[in-house]
Amino acid sequence: MLTEIITAYNEAVFDTDRDRALEIIHQAVENGISPEDIVFQVVIPAMELMIKSISEDFDANLAQHFMASQIAAQVTDEMVAKFQKSPEIIGTVVIGTSHGDMHTLGKRIVSGCLRSLMIEVVDLGVNVAPEKFVDEALAHNSPIIAISSMMMHTARSELGCTKVREILKERNLEDKIKIVVGGAPYRWDPNLYKTVQADAWAEDGITAGKVIKDLMTGMRK
Amino acid sequence: MTTGMDRLVAAINGEKSDRIPVFCNLLDQGAKELGIATLKEYYSKGEYVAEGQLKMREKYGYDNLWSLFYVGKEAELLGCQKIIYAADGPPNVEDYVIKSYDDIAKLEVPDDIGSCPLFAEELKCLQILKREAGGKYPICAYITASMTLPAILMGMDKWFELLFFGPHEVRDELLTKCCNFFHKEVTAYRNAGADIILYANPFGSTDFVPMKQFHNLSMPWMKKDVEPLGTNDMVYYCGSSRMNNVIDPVFEQLNIKTYYLSPNDDVAAGKKAVANRGLTWGVINDIRLIDWSEDEVRCEVKRIIEAGMAGGKFGFGTLVMPYKIPERNIRVMLETAYEVGRY
Ligand code: B12
Repeated sequence: MLTEIITAYNEAVFDTDRDRALEIIHQAVENGISPEDIVFQVVIPAMELMIKSISEDFDANLAQHFMASQIAAQVTDEMVAKFQKSPEIIGTVVIGTSHGDMHTLGKRIVSGCLRSLMIEVVDLGVNVAPEKFVDEALAHNSPIIAISSMMMHTARSELGCTKVREILKERNLEDKIKIVVGGAPYRWDPNLYKTVQADAWAEDGITAGKVIKDLMTGMRK
Repeated sequence: MTTGMDRLVAAINGEKSDRIPVFCNLLDQGAKELGIATLKEYYSKGEYVAEGQLKMREKYGYDNLWSLFYVGKEAELLGCQKIIYAADGPPNVEDYVIKSYDDIAKLEVPDDIGSCPLFAEELKCLQILKREAGGKYPICAYITASMTLPAILMGMDKWFELLFFGPHEVRDELLTKCCNFFHKEVTAYRNAGADIILYANPFGSTDFVPMKQFHNLSMPWMKKDVEPLGTNDMVYYCGSSRMNNVIDPVFEQLNIKTYYLSPNDDVAAGKKAVANRGLTWGVINDIRLIDWSEDEVRCEVKRIIEAGMAGGKFGFGTLVMPYKIPERNIRVMLETAYEVGRY
């Protein structure tokens, strides 16, 4: 039955039909599935299935990434509020757009995907100074700094990712904190993340969830 | 001497001029060319932008001129007060005109853009371009489609929310205003002498929306945008997103005859989809020009042109060339295009 729910839910998400997706979830709750199972047996596996199909050949469009992230985050929030005891969080990520960059959609999609994977997200907003990325990561005990940029000059800016790297080096934090980047210019140049000295990048929101989760679990070992 | 306009007209008519038309979209680089210290100053005067455009075209020998300053100008015409400037990249909208749905009701579209004080510098730029190069080098205008414009009025994030989650009446009210603005803009640019209207709409690509929404949502609004205006001077452009799989419906339902492909579109397939009905542009992923070696640049230009040139009705072009591209690579790209694109 859970498999059927996952399939129906993912179909609704890919159809960008939020109402139907929510209806499927609410119906499942009514049928006695616990909020915990909805999150861990439906939403997370559904997200993982999406990650898998995207990495294989399914070419999801932006509206689908948006819907997947927003619906999953909404369902997760709704269900977590009903949990018997608070869920175990994998960890915290601080996210923001780089210096000079005002573009919030990429960050929002990535945040939604992370939240639905039980990763806490601290949103630092737009046009974030490099020092702030590092200070906030320390304050929230976050092993990941996530930086989103829509343009070439904001991705490569001297006050962007490269500066965050410099600060991590100076403060001897490179083992503790990793940098993940994303946004349009990285998609047009898959090597750009190396140029700006990030540890990883992801092409889209759903993949970002996987890359960050993997990085976090890897760092714990 | 063969001019850019000769090459473009020949390409449109399926005839052969000396070579294919080559469009190179240099914007911010004009400031450097004129020795103006900041982009803010460069974009403060239509004279500067016109001079920058003319100078760069002459220096490199490509075929088009731009009346576009930066896309955020459209938001300024609708009340945006804050633009963020950088030293090495395009100005961006910093503050959104629409902060709550109430602001949509308040949004006012100027009646006659041509006489708007905020349009005065662009008008001046267009007049100079027309005077100096009119009829010789096509003057391009960039205009954002109604479905995409809200991105710079309220931010993509809030726009996605309204677009997909509603309320639909509010969404349609905003789209109606943006469509009205689009009509006024096209009229103003045409009156001022623009030869080419780049119809910019990433939402006209299935990289953005599923095919079903392309048909149910994007297409009706694109029809409202372009139908009353005529499409002979319009170019279909999805902001660098792919379009090959929508060329047919766009042709049939909008009758737009020129397609500025994505670097991610297969050029030969795009050309085949347009068939003999119109003009296809093969477009280079110009972000890579920053780091590519000269050989890599040559190779890529050659690949694109060879995939589309046979049978004519083809041009070569760039996206919005990033500031960091070294001059050497701009020259290598253009020289290769002139050479490989020779008939
Ligand atoms: C839509 C669009 C527009 C729209 C709306 C822009 C806006 N948001 O304000 C319009 C038409 C108005 C526009 C205008 C401009 N644009 Co534009 N635009 C695009 C387009 C087609 C998509 C950008 C977008 O919003 N995508 C949606 C978001 C959600 O996608 P995304 O950022 O890629 O995010 C996904 C992934 O990258 C990833 N991700 C994002 N962030 C992060 C972070 C982390 C940590 C991770 C892991 C992953 C991740 O997940 C996301 C979800 O799947 C791109 C080309 C393209 N196909 O990418 C050009 C593009 C971004 N634009 C570009 C430019 C230059 C501009 C202008 C500056 C042009 C000008 N000279 O004025 C203006 C700026 C307008 C402004 N804001 O003032 C260039 C930038 C490259 C460059 N040359 O520097 C691009 C790449 C086009 C190109 N190749 O030339 N644009």
